[in-house]
Amino acid sequence: MIASACCHLLQLQPGSAGAIQEIQDMNPILRRRLADLGVSEGCTVCLKGKGPFLGPVMLECNGQLLAIRRKEASKIVVNVS
Amino acid sequence: MSSIALLGNPNTGKTSLFNTLTSSYEYVGNWAGVTVEKKVGDLKNGAGTLIDLPGIYSLHPLSRDEGVATQYLLEESPEALVNIVDASQLERNLLLTVQLLEYGRPTVIGLNMIDVAKARGIKVHPDVLQTRLGINVLPLVARTGKGTSQVLSMLENSANIPAVTFKLDYGIIVEQAVSSIEQELSHIADLPDHRWVALQFLEQNPVIMQFLKDRTDINQLLAIRENCQNELQNKKLALTLPQWIRSIRTDYIRSICKDALDTSGIKPHNLTERLDSILTNRFLGLPLFLAFMYVLFKTTFEWVGAPLSDLLDGLISGPISSGTTSFLDTVGASEFIHALIVDGIIGGVGGVIVFVPQIFILFLIISFVEDSGYMARVSLVMDSIMERMGLNGKAFIPFIIGFGCNVPAIMAARSIEQPKDRMLTTLLLPLMSCSARLPVYLLFAAVFFPQNQAAVIMTMYALGIVFALLLCKIFSKYLFKNESSVFVIELPPYRMPQLKSLSRNTWEKGKGFLRKAGSIILAGSVIIWVMSYAGPTGFNVDMNNSFLAKFGGLVAPLLQPLGFGNWQAGSTLVPGFLAKEVVVSTMNIIYHAPETAGLQAQIAQTFTPLSSVSFMAFILLYTPCLATVGVIKKETASWKWTLFSIGYAVALAYVVSLVIYQGGRLLGWA
Repeated sequence: MIASACCHLLQLQPGSAGAIQEIQDMNPILRRRLADLGVSEGCTVCLKGKGPFLGPVMLECNGQLLAIRRKEASKIVVNVS
Repeated sequence: MSSIALLGNPNTGKTSLFNTLTSSYEYVGNWAGVTVEKKVGDLKNGAGTLIDLPGIYSLHPLSRDEGVATQYLLEESPEALVNIVDASQLERNLLLTVQLLEYGRPTVIGLNMIDVAKARGIKVHPDVLQTRLGINVLPLVARTGKGTSQVLSMLENSANIPAVTFKLDYGIIVEQAVSSIEQELSHIADLPDHRWVALQFLEQNPVIMQFLKDRTDINQLLAIRENCQNELQNKKLALTLPQWIRSIRTDYIRSICKDALDTSGIKPHNLTERLDSILTNRFLGLPLFLAFMYVLFKTTFEWVGAPLSDLLDGLISGPISSGTTSFLDTVGASEFIHALIVDGIIGGVGGVIVFVPQIFILFLIISFVEDSGYMARVSLVMDSIMERMGLNGKAFIPFIIGFGCNVPAIMAARSIEQPKDRMLTTLLLPLMSCSARLPVYLLFAAVFFPQNQAAVIMTMYALGIVFALLLCKIFSKYLFKNESSVFVIELPPYRMPQLKSLSRNTWEKGKGFLRKAGSIILAGSVIIWVMSYAGPTGFNVDMNNSFLAKFGGLVAPLLQPLGFGNWQAGSTLVPGFLAKEVVVSTMNIIYHAPETAGLQAQIAQTFTPLSSVSFMAFILLYTPCLATVGVIKKETASWKWTLFSIGYAVALAYVVSLVIYQGGRLLGWA
């Protein structure tokens, strides 16, 4: 791969990672909580897996595992190099 | 006596440390939000009190439990702070540390989980942290107690903990705003460090804003904040003031981590990832959770619980009962005393004590789920179902705790971020079948469904969950106008629960049940017995003419359509409101049964299999018990919602039992 490509978090292959470029209009409570957990612009997130029945996705960021809903994950734009 | 506050991120081992440093015991678990209230304990060396506060990521609270910590720092003035920092999550944890250092009180850092960090290949240099932050940093492993004696001796004399000299430069624009605010604050008495208050105000911390609003006119302060933010925006430095403050802190923390942290040898969470790939698998996750619940109930009711319970029953109805009888005969006790003790107390309290094994096994399994890290995964697995019902998966944590007891479960709902989600969880929790309702099912299932006990009891639990989900949908639609819910949860690494903390947690939960047996169940049994012994015509009347029968007879006609319109069933319901275990105690007394087998024979005469199911469903749903009502009132701070929670439960119970009984009769089950 030469150029870096942008996509949203859900489009990542499970097990692959990207750097967060932008978090688009997300519920403010959720955005704050994600920032508390260290998920904010610039940091690297890895998509670990997807839960049952279109349920939440599992992410890893700075060695911390967390889960958010797919709808919200699609609002996180990542840069895959 | 000095007071020292214990603060840190959620799930970093604060409560474990609290338990080792003080002579009290609070329960611990492996998920964020175990502690929802401040807990006070006496330090073992007698140097003062230690205050365990709910875990927070920053002083700016999102959920109700988090507000407790900020409120505490504002209103009390602890002599010193102990900040627990998770060594395996240093960067995230230091964000809180910076805010605590700005508070200006002497602070010690307990660098916890160095074993976890080491196992993951993360090296933290406490000495570098110590020099950079200018305070003492003590490495420790709170779970095993390693390093905690140093913390204790440090706190021996809190006056010796060096003062904090920490000061972070937020840039000229913000620093000017801070000094103007500090000037404005100078006339307010009893305020913690003014710089800290100013910075928290600039960050729009709602607790601080409310606190200042109650004491002064904050328009001037708001204007300063507005100007400061405008200036940052004009200079294109940041979009908002809180973002700017946060980015300054993050930069500073990264610069520290660069020196204090060596992550070159970092390893992935191997075990956790492998377990998660199965337990939260998109296809296997839910079936595995259901299988787990099945094993939980099977163990509790059949495999282990029932044999132990039978042993205990033999002991109470045999040696204890006959021993007491012969003792009372020897001392020549009157007939009244004799009947009171044997029929009232041993019958009433003993009838409930028989179920102690089942209740303790249930608590043991719940403790295991809490301590292992599976709890957070359950909420992940359940989230998509819960979302469709208008709630989020996090509500499932209180639901599972509710199988033990509804009171701590309602408290646990505090860690849910959105007020609407929290309210819904609180209102629906009484539908979770708690351990107090268990004796009723065990008794009836043994009489009418001896072959399928576990299945019948599980149906009752499932019934509770199904109604909770259905009502959730309805309440969320009509009472909360479909306000959307949010879901985010930390998934802690799995760990093998330690036998010590497991047995301790089980005992702490079960203790409450035994205490109830000695207080409210005992008192209830005595009152019920006296009411059954006395009647309008005097004492020692035929029970059908007793006050209890008269009283139960008043309710009975209402219950006729439900299939249990006899005074015996009617008279159990009102005392059952005090504590649901009393339902079984009352039955023991009414049917004068010396042992469980006798009681079962008696019950078989007044109930049919169909009416017993109807009765069990009624007991499951009919109203939260008195203690639960108390905690609902406290948590919702509203009589309206409290009465609503009782009202809907009574109506639901009546309708469900009616449908079961009348529907069953139509189908010819009778």
